[in-house]
Amino acid sequence: MTAQTVQQGDLVTVIGLEVHVQLETDTKIFCGCSTEQTDEPNENVCPVCLGLPGALPVLNEAAVEAAVKIGKAIDADIPEETRFHRKNYYYPDLPKNFQITQYDEPICADGDLEVAVEGDRRTVTIERAHLEEDPGSLQHVGGGGGIDSADYTRVDYNRAGTPLMEIVTAPDFRSPSEVRAFLAELEEVLEYLGVFDAERDGSLRIDANLSIIPEAEIESGDVTDIGADALAAANRTEVKNISSHKGAEKALAYEETRQKNAIQRGRAVEQETRHWDESRGITVSMRSKEEEKDYRYFEEADLPPLRVSGWKEEIAIPELPSARRERFQAEYGLNEEAASKLTSTKQVADFYEDVAGEFDPDLAATWVADNLLGELNYRDMDIVELEGRLEEVTRLVELVAEDEITAKNAHETVLRGMLDDGEAPDEIVEEEGLGKTDEDEVQQAVVEAIDENPDAVDDYESGDDGAINFLVGQVMQKTGGSADPGDVNQLLRAELEQ
Amino acid sequence: MSENIYITEERIDGADDGPLAGTTVAVKDNISTEGVRTTCGSRMLEEYVPPYDATVVKRLKDAGAIVVGKANMDEFGMGTTNETSYFGSVDNPAAPGHVPGGSSGGSAAAVAAGEADVALGTDTGGSIRCPAAFCGVVGIKPTYGLVSRYGLVAYGNSLEQIGPFANNVEDAAALLDVIAGSDERDATTRAEGDDATYAAAATGDVDGLTIGVPTELLEGADEGVVDTFWDAIADLEDRGAEYHEVSLPSVEHAVEAYYVIAMSEASSNLARFDGVRYGHSADAEGNWNETFAQTRKEGFGDEVKRRILLGTYALSAGYHDKYYKKAQDARAWVKQDFDEALSEADVLASPTMPVPPFELGESLDDPLQMYLADANTVPVNLADLPAISVPAGETDGLPVGLQLVGPAFGEERLIRAASALA
Repeated sequence: MTAQTVQQGDLVTVIGLEVHVQLETDTKIFCGCSTEQTDEPNENVCPVCLGLPGALPVLNEAAVEAAVKIGKAIDADIPEETRFHRKNYYYPDLPKNFQITQYDEPICADGDLEVAVEGDRRTVTIERAHLEEDPGSLQHVGGGGGIDSADYTRVDYNRAGTPLMEIVTAPDFRSPSEVRAFLAELEEVLEYLGVFDAERDGSLRIDANLSIIPEAEIESGDVTDIGADALAAANRTEVKNISSHKGAEKALAYEETRQKNAIQRGRAVEQETRHWDESRGITVSMRSKEEEKDYRYFEEADLPPLRVSGWKEEIAIPELPSARRERFQAEYGLNEEAASKLTSTKQVADFYEDVAGEFDPDLAATWVADNLLGELNYRDMDIVELEGRLEEVTRLVELVAEDEITAKNAHETVLRGMLDDGEAPDEIVEEEGLGKTDEDEVQQAVVEAIDENPDAVDDYESGDDGAINFLVGQVMQKTGGSADPGDVNQLLRAELEQ
Repeated sequence: MSENIYITEERIDGADDGPLAGTTVAVKDNISTEGVRTTCGSRMLEEYVPPYDATVVKRLKDAGAIVVGKANMDEFGMGTTNETSYFGSVDNPAAPGHVPGGSSGGSAAAVAAGEADVALGTDTGGSIRCPAAFCGVVGIKPTYGLVSRYGLVAYGNSLEQIGPFANNVEDAAALLDVIAGSDERDATTRAEGDDATYAAAATGDVDGLTIGVPTELLEGADEGVVDTFWDAIADLEDRGAEYHEVSLPSVEHAVEAYYVIAMSEASSNLARFDGVRYGHSADAEGNWNETFAQTRKEGFGDEVKRRILLGTYALSAGYHDKYYKKAQDARAWVKQDFDEALSEADVLASPTMPVPPFELGESLDDPLQMYLADANTVPVNLADLPAISVPAGETDGLPVGLQLVGPAFGEERLIRAASALA
């Protein structure tokens, strides 16, 4: 390419991802240690995950099951037999100084995931997804506190051996926002499968390859279809240390601008690995291509080949978000926006279906999608925090559905009270006296009392304030004494003023 | 004790009763013993005390055995003479002034010297059979997967097995009975040994046994060794066995293939010794990369470094196909050859070692000579098969071992045949 064409032509951004996902299993991938997060360092460890001499890995079937679920969800090929390799490199967080991973026989190959990007549906190819073990974690202490500036570093092996799925996409993304949309969709799917917990610290880690290609070099003229030659010709950077879909968008937007600036100034983009520094909002160079590692992959003889041929049929996966979204529109007559909101997480969708099963689906949609999610969002809360209290929300919808309280009171007083003070809906209704029927009863008694006692009304209207006490007595009699005399007094005066 | 048999002499009592009650056992020092240091014959692990027992040690204890010491060995199992041990060489009780063989030299010597009734060794390319032959005792290398490797500090993990030493086949078989069988902590173990009754097979009955003698394994062997071997075969013939010659054409590549695979695996298996979690840690300034390098420079001996470097090279990009992959192809070929030979014979027989024991110090400076001495033992590890070495006699007063190789999980057959000799 010449400097001229570069300056004149438009530049196209090409991004591919390697997404590391921690799988939700009770125990680690190669030993019986708990995967529970704990504040105490090096607590959930044993000879196997510490890499003590002589310890051997034994594969946790739950991790394989999770991998098969992911494979089915992304419609990947799951081979009859899969096996593990060693990836050899020295790093202080890696107990054995090799990582057990999969190399040329991954458990999932050639899948895809459909993503909505700014209104369009796009299919992202997933080249492969494989199982591996997570290393431990490092804590840099003192000095500048950074990876290259700390006085010393502590190693915590609690995380070592947590099962990971590495999901590798084709270079199918053309913008950082597409990456964000994909990652959000992927997280949603993984949560639906019950194999992933987004709340968990470090549960999602992303390496992204980004390169900039002059549009003139894209033979077909279609930016979604870039040939291997054009890709190979462009230098790319690998951006590491991204830990969320929002972070991915920021990091890649920075990197995109950095590379475009370089190209527009006629400078070459170096092929290198860069580290996303979230706090500074920039990427920094880690190592150049010359130092690229040779991982000396070879078969892990301690783990026999794994036959998964029967698993794909035996393991069922739940309905996925995209299918559920469509069904919600068809089955409950919801619009796309509401269906989308209501399928944003599995918990929300499950809850909506519970409520819609008992009450009017429209009412249920308003209550779950607008009122509940709105109030939760305002409080920066997640529906999972209401675990065990969802019945209370259902009861609240019931109160509205049966016209026992007004929708306004239900939302503004009861729901907010439930979220802020942790009280049950009936308690709040009782305390706040929101019971619509009670009010009506008193009101009705007031009207009756006025109708039945024209003399007392005349007396009152002619200035005899004592007549009101007679009327209050009548109302109290009619309501069996359950009404508040002060309230009755007010109600009578209001009615008589009309 | 002049022979320097044990690196650590410490008594570990087992259960009050059991099939090995009262039996004393020497345990090779690469097999983890809870609370008792396990050095692998290396400065790297000079002060390493495992927090857990290897599965075989647990089984010994449950069977009532008494562990009497951690036996000397070539550093991380890398050697044929026991002379690469950081803790010094072992003198051969059966041939003083000579090496006991390696790498399980201390284990074989313990039995030969009467320091222990039986012993455990490990065999990656002959490390049980070689010292058994050199010390004039019985040693069994089980089928890969018969005995749990959990707690065995790995050298070549696709090749190695833990196995017994004893003065006679029946005692070795009785020890194998205790340690064999599947283990949930070692995914490569198989159920074949679960209800083993190997000791009962030591009947000495070889009537009708067909023995295949691979001609390639006699070529280039010491004359005295070959003569002793044929005497032993004649002895078996007298008891009703018959022999014929067979061919294993692939074995001429076995030593190369074995060393490429074993060194490649070793380069990875020994990567964990970086001084962070356990073992020797250099008092070095600098970043972690420099500290790791200094720790490994100080902690490992020359032979270990040689094998790590060669193994790293064999796995490197650009060389992987030329060395590691080719070695795997050769391994498959060796397996196939053994399958064919064993379809025409019940067992295969050869001298265990092509030479009698070296004199102490003789082979230290020539690693290649040492590697070639493994020619008869390494093919068996490549093929994952069981083998036994039994004393066949002596040449010039030095012990000679006879090796019998059987089909996978054919330990009973080997024990029955070998028990005719010892």
